[in-house]
Amino acid sequence: MKAKKTVIAFGDMRLGVDSDRSRRTPTVRKPKGAMVPVDRFKPPVGRARVETGASAVADLGNPTAVQPTMAEREALDRIDLSVDLAPDRGLLLANPILVASGTFGYGVEYGEVVDVQRIGAICCKGTTLRPRAGNQPPRVTETPGGMLNSIGLQNPGVDAVIEKYGPIWQGWKVPVIVNVAGESIEDYVEVARRLDGVPGVAGIELNISCPNVGKGGLQFAIDRDAARAVTAAVRRATELPLLVKLSPNVADVRPIAKAIEEAGADAITAINTLSGLAVSPDRTRAFLGNTYGGLSGPAVKPVALRIVYEVAQVVSIPIVAIGGVTNLDDVLDFLACGAVAVQVGTAIFADPELPVRLGDELRAECLRRGLDSYRPLIGTALPQRTGPASAKGAEYRP
Amino acid sequence: MRLVAAELVDSRQILPGQWLQSFHAPELATGSRAGQFVHVRTGDYSGLVLRRPFSINTADPATGIVTLHFRTVGRGTEWLTRVREGEKLDMLGPLGRPFEVDPRSRHLLLIAGGLGMAGVRMLADEAIRDGRQVTILFGALSAGHVYPSSLLPDEVEYVVATDDGSLGHHGYVTDLVQEYEAWADQAFACGPYPMLERLARLASGRRDRLGVAKLGRKRGRGKTDPLGSTGARRKAFLQVSMEQTMGCAVGACLGCTVIGVEGPLRVCREGPVFASDEIAWPQA
Repeated sequence: MKAKKTVIAFGDMRLGVDSDRSRRTPTVRKPKGAMVPVDRFKPPVGRARVETGASAVADLGNPTAVQPTMAEREALDRIDLSVDLAPDRGLLLANPILVASGTFGYGVEYGEVVDVQRIGAICCKGTTLRPRAGNQPPRVTETPGGMLNSIGLQNPGVDAVIEKYGPIWQGWKVPVIVNVAGESIEDYVEVARRLDGVPGVAGIELNISCPNVGKGGLQFAIDRDAARAVTAAVRRATELPLLVKLSPNVADVRPIAKAIEEAGADAITAINTLSGLAVSPDRTRAFLGNTYGGLSGPAVKPVALRIVYEVAQVVSIPIVAIGGVTNLDDVLDFLACGAVAVQVGTAIFADPELPVRLGDELRAECLRRGLDSYRPLIGTALPQRTGPASAKGAEYRP
Repeated sequence: MRLVAAELVDSRQILPGQWLQSFHAPELATGSRAGQFVHVRTGDYSGLVLRRPFSINTADPATGIVTLHFRTVGRGTEWLTRVREGEKLDMLGPLGRPFEVDPRSRHLLLIAGGLGMAGVRMLADEAIRDGRQVTILFGALSAGHVYPSSLLPDEVEYVVATDDGSLGHHGYVTDLVQEYEAWADQAFACGPYPMLERLARLASGRRDRLGVAKLGRKRGRGKTDPLGSTGARRKAFLQVSMEQTMGCAVGACLGCTVIGVEGPLRVCREGPVFASDEIAWPQA
C-alpha cells in the first residue's frame, strides 16, 4: 500500500498561477472589479477600523453586512492605489501594502488562507549566499505589545530559493522582492548577481540590519560609509530595483539614509527590528537561544514613525515604512510621515488576512475623502519645507 | 488549514489551573486528525500580538465539537478562561502533521506527562474507532493533577504514575514503559522535553532488549522511506509530539524550530509530531 503523500508547504496549486504575465515588464495594473469579491469590502461609510478580538470574529461571514452598491464599487475601482517603488527601473505595485520579510515565508505558506495575489508585494525571507541553519531555539517570544525573534536568517541559500520558488513567483501577479542578507559586501554582490534576471524576482531588499546574527550585516547599517559601500556595490551588480532596509539601532539614521540614497538605492525600507532581550522563566539565563532578539509589533511603531519622519526629510527616494502596522490608522500615520508604501509584519501572525484587508480599507478611505488616489495622504504630517532638505543629519558623524 | 470562527459552548476547569473548553467548529471537527493543532487568536486589547497554539484534544465530526485542554500559564490562556459561552474565537487550523499509525499496529501505547495528555488524547479515540487496543501511561505531580479517567474512553487501559506517589506508581511515567514495550506495537508520547528525551532513549534500545528481528523488507531491497516522511514515521516505534514557542504556525516565520538530526525542523509544519529518530536529542 502506498503511503499517502503529505503535502507540506510548497507547490500549492491554489496560488492562482497566471503565467503569461511577465514580472520584469511592469504595466499599470488596475485591480479589476472581478478580482475582488464583493464581500471583502467594508462599506465606505465612516473610517473603516480594524476590529480586534472576539467581536471581529463574530462578524466573519455575516450575511447582513452592508455591501457596496454597484456605483460605489465602480468608484472604488477608479481609485488609484498603484505605486512605483523604483521610478527609474520599474517596481510597480497594485497597492501600497506589502508583507514584510520573515513574516510571510516565500509567499506560499499562507496560500491556503490568504489571496496572496491581492497583496501589493511580498518581501520574502532573508536570503543568503549559502544555506544557513539559523539560531538555536527558542527563537520567538511574545513581549508586551510585540514579539522578539531571533531566527538567525535560516534559509536554504539563494540558489535553492531561485530553483524552488522562482518558477512559482514567475506565475504570480504579485511582485516578489527578495530580501538579501550577507556577511560581507562580496556576499551581497554575489547574491544580487545571481538574482539578476531571474524571472519572478521583481526586486531586491538589502537587509543590512539583521540584529540576530553575529555577522548579519548590521555593521553595514550602523555606519554611513559601510552602508554607502554595500549599496553601491550591489547597485553595480544588478539592474533590479533595489530597496535598502534601515536599522533603528543607530544614534542618527539620517546620514545613513542619505548615503544609501546617494549610492543608488531606488527606495528605503524603514525599519528593521530593535535589538532586545527576554529572560527565561526561571531567570537563570536569557530566554532566546541566541540571547538577543529583534523586537517587532505595535510596540515599535512610534520608533518607526520617528525614523520614517526623519528619513523623509533628508531623502527624495520612496520610503517603505514598516513597524507595528495593525490597522488602517497605522497605515495612514506612516503615509502622513512621508512613506509611500507600508509593510505589514508581525500582525500577520495574528491576522493573516490583514494585508489584503488594509488595501481594501485604504481604498474605502480614499473614497470617503473624495480622493481618486491615495497620494494626497502622503507626507501631510511633515514640516513644510522652506528650502532644500536639511543637511544637518548628513553632517552628523558619530 | 483555514480560518474558522469557533463558538465556545462549554468551559470548565477540570484540574487546578487546567481547563477543558468545547467549541462548535464543524470545519475543524471533520478535517482534523490526532496530533494536529489549532492556532487561536486572543483578544489583543492588552497587547497580545501572537496567536496561541493548542493541540486538538478531541474532535467529534458528528456534533461538530472540538475540545481544547490547556493550562493557564500567561495572559493569553488566562484571557481564554474568561471567554463566555456563545462567543466566537478566531482559530486557524487544523495545522501540522498528525500521528501516523501503522495499519498493522494492534496495540498502541500512549504516554503523556501532565498537560501532554492534550497531545495524545485524540489518538485514543481514533485508535479505538479503528479497533486497536490502547494503554495510556500518564504521569503527573500528584493525585490532584491526574487527568480524570471519566474523560477517557472506557476501552482505554489507564495507568498512572505520580512524582510524590500519591496515586499509582511512585516515580516517573517513563519507569512504566519497559513493562509495556513488548506489548506495544507503537508508542506515541507528549509531555515535557526530559520525558520525551528519556522515551527516545528507551525506544532506541528497545529492539535489542526484546531481541526483535527487523520486520518488513529485507535490508537493502526496495527503497527506504526518507527520514521524516509519512512512511518512515508510520514504521517508527515512537512518535513524539513536540512544543515550541510559535509565531505564524504555517511555516513562514521559522520561529518554532527544534533541532533535528538533519537540521532545524519546524514544529508547525514538519511537526508537531515527529518520529523520535528525527530529533537530535542531547547526548546522555
